[in-house]
Amino acid sequence: MDFTLNEDQVLLRETARAMFGNECPPELVRDAFYDVTSTGPEAASSFFDRHLRDWAALGDAAVVDLCLFMEEAGRVLAPGPAWVNTSLFLPLLRAIEHPSADLVAAGEVTGTVAVCGRDGYWVLNNDPMRSFVPHANEVDVVAILSAGNQVSCVAVAELDLQEVATLDRSRPVFQFAVPAGLDSTEIGAEQLAVVLNRGTVALAAELIGVGRWLMDTTLEYVRERVQFDRPVGSFQGLQWKLVDAALLLERADAAVYYAAMCLDAGAPEQDRAVHVAKAAAGTAARRWARDGLQSLGGIGFTWEHDLHLRLRRAQASEQLLGSASWHHDRLAELIFAPD
Amino acid sequence: MKLTWGAEEEAFRAELLAFLDAEVPEEIKGGRDWIGDESPEIPKWASEFQAKLFDHGWMVPSYPPELGGRNATPLQTLIFLEELASRGVSRSVHFGGYAIVGPSLLEFGNEQQKGMAPSAIRGDTVWCVGMSEPDAGSDLASLQTRAVPDGDSFIVTGQKVWTSYAMVAEKCFCYVRTDTSVAKHKGISVLIIDMDSPGLEVRPLRHLTGAIEFAEVFLNEVVVPKENLVGELNSGWRITMGSLAHERGALWVESVSSAQRALEGLVEIARRQGLEQDGVVRRKLAELYEEVHSLRALGYKGFASFAQGSSAPEHSFMKLATSELRQRIYGFGMELQGPYAAVVDPEFVEEGGRWQQSWQISLAGTIGGGTSEIQRNVVATRVLGLPRG
Repeated sequence: MDFTLNEDQVLLRETARAMFGNECPPELVRDAFYDVTSTGPEAASSFFDRHLRDWAALGDAAVVDLCLFMEEAGRVLAPGPAWVNTSLFLPLLRAIEHPSADLVAAGEVTGTVAVCGRDGYWVLNNDPMRSFVPHANEVDVVAILSAGNQVSCVAVAELDLQEVATLDRSRPVFQFAVPAGLDSTEIGAEQLAVVLNRGTVALAAELIGVGRWLMDTTLEYVRERVQFDRPVGSFQGLQWKLVDAALLLERADAAVYYAAMCLDAGAPEQDRAVHVAKAAAGTAARRWARDGLQSLGGIGFTWEHDLHLRLRRAQASEQLLGSASWHHDRLAELIFAPD
Repeated sequence: MKLTWGAEEEAFRAELLAFLDAEVPEEIKGGRDWIGDESPEIPKWASEFQAKLFDHGWMVPSYPPELGGRNATPLQTLIFLEELASRGVSRSVHFGGYAIVGPSLLEFGNEQQKGMAPSAIRGDTVWCVGMSEPDAGSDLASLQTRAVPDGDSFIVTGQKVWTSYAMVAEKCFCYVRTDTSVAKHKGISVLIIDMDSPGLEVRPLRHLTGAIEFAEVFLNEVVVPKENLVGELNSGWRITMGSLAHERGALWVESVSSAQRALEGLVEIARRQGLEQDGVVRRKLAELYEEVHSLRALGYKGFASFAQGSSAPEHSFMKLATSELRQRIYGFGMELQGPYAAVVDPEFVEEGGRWQQSWQISLAGTIGGGTSEIQRNVVATRVLGLPRG
């Protein structure tokens, strides 16, 4: 497998990085986090409207390209519904040939996807409620998935959303009662798997970005912070811990792009690769949140330092689209499946 | 980014596969962890296979034909190592000759010494490499074997240890101290020493596996002609870094593939032991699968940087990660055998005790070639940029 980025991919990454660097400073992220209902110019929805609608068409692009973008979004913790709109909602509409798909790709309509029932597992079901629906308050449409591979699109205005507050205020999730008598379209099982795989790998790429920020911030801190007349980063006890965490993040990063390549190629190992990618990325991001916090000492445990925003994202995203344990159990089924 | 290589590379692979299908000796078909035998001799099948690889340009493919290669590109070398590794096939049982001595002679030797490289790579001349000493293990630069000039010769006195195949080698590529008045890295030189020199004595050391593969080498006033100096006097430290640079971007392939084969074996053991439905076993296997396959991807990611001429920090992790992973895989494979975990009697145990043997061999992986502790120190300072302790 060839991990070399082509020129377009290098350009895409640089453009995304520059855009987030210029337009999404830490203050904006903090403001969005501390007041998700704000409607001021610094609000989450405002950042999304001004800068991320233009990127919605990435939902139609190669998964590798989508991941390059999501990694940068994760690094800065970009506010707004870009992940769910681009990585799940648009591919789902494409899969059922929905007439609004072009509008979504053009950034004119936005949406989210409702899968879980109240048990919180990302498995199609007939629960009269849908829960853990990300960013439902920030989009126009919710695509509701139900048992039997049924998809129904409903305007958010028609739903009675109830927020389920989580650790991660920058990615609000909601529950609502599924309205009666909805029209629905059937999606093929294979197409549905492709959509969910795409969303899962994109989320894993976002977690890699979260992990990168945590790793960079931690390394910078332990190089500078002096105790006992030495930088604390010179102590072997700390070094070895961070080496093991760095290994975890590096291999998770490679696993995510490998999974993206598998999806782009329609490779037979794609399901396995996606399970590996999400499990590894989630584990790596949480590990860096924990070890980063430990390495920063007291300052990491403050509201003032931005580390906790990533700790929250890492911890909450672990459960979205399946935790590491959930993916390991699915992987075991494939490992033991008869050839 | 894409999963597959081009048609030219796949043609290269096809030619290699045809060769391997025809020529791999029965003794190593199906993959086998090899760390010597109860006999110190190099098996005949191994010498013949190495010579055949050389003659067909498959020994070190990146070299020209006269050195056992075919001027392969870095990507072709990666494919070559992939295919050997996925079959568990080693090119040679004594890697010092083709991987360290040959390349170092070519890079640092004089014309006459360069002429010794082909036979070192083909395995016609068996070499050992005298590096470690009783007091110079991880801290190799503190080696104390002294070489004192005396007319046209050096007089060499000291002791080497963990010297692989010293008991069958004709020559030793030996690191010695030639200047004690300077910093320890700056007073080291390399000498070529004939193993039948008077004053040189070899005492085989048995591994904990029971195999005889490495040895202690005692040097007591061994006379070595000055023309046997490799490179400049006191520039030996540079030579320690001189192993197969062409293959450096792909050497991780062997260790990942070995872990992958071990994992596949583990799945089979779980089936045979009736543990397929055990939730703990399933989750543990899936975790190991995640590690093996993400490390494989990491190796390829590093190769992409290497092939573009950049440094590949990814590869600094590979030896550390795969050697520790292999120990866990083999350890878990024994655990799955329950009360038979510690049994080595081939009559009673899974696969004739192969797992118990491979587990023992895996214990060497975190020591030889730079301990895991040294690897972590190196990654901390050179990759993560942390201050030295």
